Amino acid sequence: MLKVENITKKYGENVAVNNLSFTVDAGEIFGLLGENGAGKTTTFRIIMGLIDANEGKVTLDGKKIDYSETDNIGFVTEERSLLTKLTVQEQIEFYGTLKGLDKDTIDKRLDYWLEKFEITSYKNRKIKELSKGNQQKIQFISAIINEPKLLILDEPFTGLDPINVKLMKDAIYYLKEKGCSIIFSSHQMEYIEDFCEKLILLVKGNTILDGKLDDIKENYAKKNIMIKGEDIDISAIKKLKGVISVEKTRGELEVKIANKEVAPKVFNIIKNSNITKYDVVSPSLNEIFIASVGGIHE
Amino acid sequence: MNKKFWYLTKLSFNKKVKSKWFIVTNVILLIAIVALLNISSIIEFFGGDFENNTNIIVVDNANAYQLFEENLNVYAEDENFEVSTANDDIDSIKESLEDNQLVIVLNSDEVEYLKAELISNDKIDNLTYQIILQALNSTKTTIGMINSNIDPEILANISASITIDRTILNEEATTDENMDMVMSSIFPTLILPFFMLIVFLVQMVGGEICEEKTTRSMEIIIANVSPKAHLMSKVLASNLFVILQGVLLIIYCVIAYLVSLSLGGDSLGFDISSIFGMINSSGLTNTLILVIPITLILIILSFVAYALVAGILASMTVNIEDFNQLQTPIMLISVAGYYLAIMSAMFDGSIFIRIISYIPFLSVFISPTLFVLGQITIIDVIISVVILILFIYVLLKFGLRVYKAGILNYSSGKVWSKLFKAIKE
Repeated sequence: MLKVENITKKYGENVAVNNLSFTVDAGEIFGLLGENGAGKTTTFRIIMGLIDANEGKVTLDGKKIDYSETDNIGFVTEERSLLTKLTVQEQIEFYGTLKGLDKDTIDKRLDYWLEKFEITSYKNRKIKELSKGNQQKIQFISAIINEPKLLILDEPFTGLDPINVKLMKDAIYYLKEKGCSIIFSSHQMEYIEDFCEKLILLVKGNTILDGKLDDIKENYAKKNIMIKGEDIDISAIKKLKGVISVEKTRGELEVKIANKEVAPKVFNIIKNSNITKYDVVSPSLNEIFIASVGGIHE
Repeated sequence: MNKKFWYLTKLSFNKKVKSKWFIVTNVILLIAIVALLNISSIIEFFGGDFENNTNIIVVDNANAYQLFEENLNVYAEDENFEVSTANDDIDSIKESLEDNQLVIVLNSDEVEYLKAELISNDKIDNLTYQIILQALNSTKTTIGMINSNIDPEILANISASITIDRTILNEEATTDENMDMVMSSIFPTLILPFFMLIVFLVQMVGGEICEEKTTRSMEIIIANVSPKAHLMSKVLASNLFVILQGVLLIIYCVIAYLVSLSLGGDSLGFDISSIFGMINSSGLTNTLILVIPITLILIILSFVAYALVAGILASMTVNIEDFNQLQTPIMLISVAGYYLAIMSAMFDGSIFIRIISYIPFLSVFISPTLFVLGQITIIDVIISVVILILFIYVLLKFGLRVYKAGILNYSSGKVWSKLFKAIKE
């Protein structure tokens, strides 16, 4: 289990991370969200032991993370961290040895994952000769070759087509099943909704949202009503107090409302129209993210 | 951690040694050194003559041929001259004159005793001209003295070279005039490969760190080995590499010498035994026994210092262009050291050059040179070594802070301000 307790990191006057706390249990996928410059990279670097926090502590299974513990951590960086002049085998052997593995174990695991990702023929190819998607797969393999207790994934799906996204998702679920604690960071909120049971949203180093994804959505006051039908009086809905916007999306009306008490008032207006769908739903994580960070609803 | 350190060192060393450019460079170096040291054999093989003889045909109208020939032999020393008297008249000789032939017409003169005319197809080289001029002047002087009825015994004494007994009061001054020959001919040749190795070293350490940083693999590496172990593995690998390259250069020279022996023994561009003779007659042998081990220590420590600085500077850059700019001052310092070492004989005894010889980066070039020249003592060389060790200690103490902060810093701020900020933190 990863435990991050009240970490603060300052660069001069600038507070990069402010009193951040969270835990990631074994076999759990945890979402760490934030716009660019929110403090995600600093948080990852503190967890990896690359930089020291000014305050607070980070432990993995109760032990402080130092060079004796980093062998149990895998890290997929946002930008590719591969030595492109090396072959796939050389690259994985390089990172694997740095994780304390012997050559035979590395080769055995590499063969397994190359087959899993359907790229066995690339084993002796130079990384610079591979497509972006295949380079991303190699980067992923390099991070999990040590079968880590903790895996940090920073934008792991960059450059992947839907088929390969599926392959990598399966791999992530496989690691989760094996008890790996996973921190997942992405700007694509649908992936976070797919994977994460718990998440934290950082804005300028501060924690804005924190908790289980379902609770965050449930507790979020603003709701959306999805309506499908004919002869709907849109102008009347727009005039209602508490209605933020009305938009047509894929043949449906999406009515954004300030709180769930507005929903019955909307229903009163449309109840005599010829409607086939009326659904009050929580907003997507993407909307919550944008609203929290910059404010789409403001 | 130790295992990972040695793994990184081995990987970095193998990467350099197994690279195509290393193999190609060494094949070229081997061929170049063997060819250079056997240049006369190569020229002869293609039908040329490296030691081209100059034929001097003397038209003797002054009955001075014998005297001239004797004087020419004295001044010519190692130069190859063949002297003969003319069998034809001057016009026929001029018509059939070849490029390696000269005609000297000796004429008597009542006032100046001897006058000469020098005829050649083309301009002749300065050395040949000076030898002929000296031989003619001596011939003229001898004729003048004979004509003045000076006793032949006195004449012989006048003509004999002066005997000089040398006494040098400074006991530490091991130099004599042969040293100028050593300094001007051997030292630049010996020091040039060392200078080249420093250039290799700086570029290798910096290039490798820059590559790891720009590809962002640095984050993964530093997550598994400490920045200190990472930097030291680069320093050790690059030092082992340049030492290997230095040893290979020595082996190539030995191969070239063996090739020259197999080709007849005298095909080297110079005579090795004469160099040893020159060193011996300079009284340098004892000095070299002292200076070689201490120079080796200085060289290895300087390699370490250069590699550390290159690594620390490379850690602050975000691309190879930045590093190329940052390494310029290091290169300029080593160029300055190289030239100061070659010119150090000119600064005889000055405080300036003595102080310069203590400065890290420069000391490796200058300190041994000044010691060989007798301008500084062994104590001064030891001081240079101690200062260099202290300098390396300071580099490690403050440089590692910079390195640790620098390798993960991708900001586009000014490199020097990032560097000083990292030292303060």
